[in-house]
Amino acid sequence: MTQQAVEVMKPLELPAVVRRRLTGAELAGLAGLGAIALLPIPFGSFGFFVGQFALIYAILGLSVVVVTGYAGLVSLMTYSFAGIGAMVTGIAMASWGWPFWLALPLAAAATIPVSVIVGVTSVRLKGLYLAIATLTFADALGETFFKWDRATGGLSGWVVSRPHPFRSDASYYVLLLVVAMGLVWMVTGLRSSRVGRAMLAVRTNEREAQALGINVYKTKLTAFLISGALGGIGGSFLALLLKQVTRSAFQSPLVEATSILLVTVVVIGGIDRPLGAFLGAVALVVQQQVFQGARFFFAYFGIYSAALLVLFLLYRPGGLMQVVRLQWRLIQTRPRVGIISTALIIGLNVGLAWLFVRLS
Amino acid sequence: MIAAHPVIQVTAFGLASGATFGLLALGLVLIYRTTGAMNFAHWAIGLLAVIAYLYLANEGVPVVLAMLLALMLSPIAGIAAYRYVFRKIPRSNHVVTILITIGVAQLFASLAAMVLGFKQFTRLPPWLPQGKVSFAGTELNTTDVVTIIVAVGIAAGFLAWFRFTRTGRALRAVAQNREAAMLAGIDDVRSATIAWGIGSALAALALLLVLPHVAGKQGGLITTFDVTPFGTLLIPAFGAALVGGLVNLPMALAGGFAFGLVRELLVLAPRPWSDMRSVAAAVLILVLLILRTERFFVTAQEREALEA
Repeated sequence: MTQQAVEVMKPLELPAVVRRRLTGAELAGLAGLGAIALLPIPFGSFGFFVGQFALIYAILGLSVVVVTGYAGLVSLMTYSFAGIGAMVTGIAMASWGWPFWLALPLAAAATIPVSVIVGVTSVRLKGLYLAIATLTFADALGETFFKWDRATGGLSGWVVSRPHPFRSDASYYVLLLVVAMGLVWMVTGLRSSRVGRAMLAVRTNEREAQALGINVYKTKLTAFLISGALGGIGGSFLALLLKQVTRSAFQSPLVEATSILLVTVVVIGGIDRPLGAFLGAVALVVQQQVFQGARFFFAYFGIYSAALLVLFLLYRPGGLMQVVRLQWRLIQTRPRVGIISTALIIGLNVGLAWLFVRLS
Repeated sequence: MIAAHPVIQVTAFGLASGATFGLLALGLVLIYRTTGAMNFAHWAIGLLAVIAYLYLANEGVPVVLAMLLALMLSPIAGIAAYRYVFRKIPRSNHVVTILITIGVAQLFASLAAMVLGFKQFTRLPPWLPQGKVSFAGTELNTTDVVTIIVAVGIAAGFLAWFRFTRTGRALRAVAQNREAAMLAGIDDVRSATIAWGIGSALAALALLLVLPHVAGKQGGLITTFDVTPFGTLLIPAFGAALVGGLVNLPMALAGGFAFGLVRELLVLAPRPWSDMRSVAAAVLILVLLILRTERFFVTAQEREALEA
């Protein structure tokens, strides 16, 4: 168990950048993803709403993947970045009358000042101290920026509407799907890029990375800049999903709670795998939204997600991505055991979900 | 409300909330020094004790007895968290340690929220005598005065225990050099269990002092803000612990009082500044972080041991 817990921080074999044909496993995975993407269709507009929510959490989760998964810096202010993105989108669209496609890059750019400050701080502060610092930043932003009437539109917030071809639920879902998958692809590419490898090296051992000539300062700053921009983009899309953004969600202590949920999502999916953020969001946020209507089950959601976070960190620190990989290897080496256990895992989860929906 | 001597009243209030921060910080530092884990679940563990107190008081147990029982039960949560979760994580794995304490914080806070039934707020019966005492020509709340006295008394007793008893010395040895302490025959797991138990009790005491008395005459309240993983007071408590570099116990207590005073005395400042209480705390914390206060309190060797 402890051995597995170490695994997250073990030096990883760095991916070789070679173009090749897709393997069978990857094809199966892609087919699975396609099936997941089609899931909302039978449930109509509610299905699309849940799907949109999960995809936005996947985008915000990518922000955690870059900063915590790749660079090994614990950030508890991801949702504050999302708040900045949402509010800036609100000002630009509702107050200045900008179109969304201009507000979106502005929302991503608006996070830069904050991420530069946090990034510079992160160079001096290690691990635990940085976690406290980001917590403090989130708290301070909630007391200043998110209490400033001109930035947040007062208590009623900003009302925004979706741009033309994406007004319907289905089309907005498709847009988010394309954006989320595009960002997953980009963050996956980042992992094997020069910057991404530098981040992984800094995460594994800062001093050794420095000795190898990696600029730790620049690497950490880049991690926070990318993470902030991803958070801003996610927040911008969140504003359009909710159609009205209010500031109370971004003030302490609610903002910390959501940031923790984002960390949970990513840990469950697989903390250093972009696809893991997607899987985690699908696994957790869909349940959160589906059971929001069923008060009795929603009451247990906090406990359930926290228990999942602790259990995954203890026993499967690689998250669902690791579970998938382990099952696939089992199917290859011992097909009968592998297929039966995989079917049992899937069947148990589907059965539980069915039971919940029936009872609620 | 503000009488002839607002400064004295506000100071008393600041010292009382400072006492809470100080107690929380003492527990944080104790656990961090002996086990290397910064306990983000500190608030949530204390919250469980408050829930136990509320349950007992509602069952008709006299409030003071209910408070003492809750205090005695409080170490269970912390020790269970250590035995079943934190002990399985290697000390050197910082990211996982931080994430897992956050997970435990969320777990306990959600448990508390569930027991309370997700209400906007829940009333808590007070257990300290309500009233006024006059001091230097002004009237002070008895709850504030008792809070300060209890906190200082408990903290002094705890520090003396830590310094002079055999178990306290064992804990200090583990904090200074774990391997050497283990070679000298000190049980590492036992020390960590004791640290978690006492740390949890200190958190419980801090919350039991503040939450049942926040609303003055009406008693206490638990709001939805209080049942979040970090609550409303854990961030200043981190600040207080940072005054002692996360390792020095007396300085953490002093830091608690400093943070309490700054927070409450800002109320007297003119308008734009009086709303800046959290910002002031945040700026102070960042300054302390940047100063890297731990280097004033530990040797280079101890710091390596804590960080490695």
